[in-house]
Amino acid sequence: MTDKLDLVLERTIDAPIDLVWAAYTNPEHLKRWFAPRPYEVTECELDLRPGGIFRIRMVGPDGFDTGHGVPGCVLEVIEGRKLAWTSALGPGYRPNLAGEGCESFPMTAVITFEDAGDGKTAYRAVSLHKDEADREKHEQMGFHDGWGTVAGQLEEFAQSLRTNA
Amino acid sequence: MLARLASGPATVSELAQPLSMSLPAVLQHLKALEGSGLIRSEKKGRVRTCRLNPGVLSAAERWLVDRRSEWEVRHDRFEEYVMELKENDDDRQA
Repeated sequence: MTDKLDLVLERTIDAPIDLVWAAYTNPEHLKRWFAPRPYEVTECELDLRPGGIFRIRMVGPDGFDTGHGVPGCVLEVIEGRKLAWTSALGPGYRPNLAGEGCESFPMTAVITFEDAGDGKTAYRAVSLHKDEADREKHEQMGFHDGWGTVAGQLEEFAQSLRTNA
Repeated sequence: MLARLASGPATVSELAQPLSMSLPAVLQHLKALEGSGLIRSEKKGRVRTCRLNPGVLSAAERWLVDRRSEWEVRHDRFEEYVMELKENDDDRQA
């Protein structure tokens, strides 16, 4: 595992572990946070067993629609503690075409949860990529949301400065 | 000062005016900003005008992008949602 290939995130959240696990693994919950706004997950399947399906359909106001989508594959499940899935494989471990999984590039996600006491949960979410280019693609996804808007505004502003300079 | 310069070029006295800093202190601060490449300045007669270095904004933008990957933003949304669930749970128990 290296910084160049992976996106690693470690946080403690002020909620009990069963709630955090449910929010991460129940398809109805997942639909609510997985997509960057204004995109929306309209369909979600997550079969919590090795070889199980992980499929989402994402639609956007601009007509964007992943359609049925190419499903990913659950690799490992330890109830309440660990979930690993990949877009490189489909259900039953059958390989997907490169770049046709849940994301536009193959990736594997490993999320682990730990009771941090006081009703808090520590979790670590790692996204593994095959090369730096894919990691960068992943980093830059979804920038219509939040800081993406800020970055866009900054860019416009920088361009206006250049024009005036 | 950077916030002021973000809205356009300004002279040293314009930059110093709203601040409770001595002029030498302001000049020293500007020198440091210029040294780090955040701003550039030019002197015409007795007036020095400072402006934000446009490249800095691209660098700032890159900084935002680097630190706010979709992976992180996604988990921000996740945490927001968990907190919503938790509040709803609390409401039900109350």
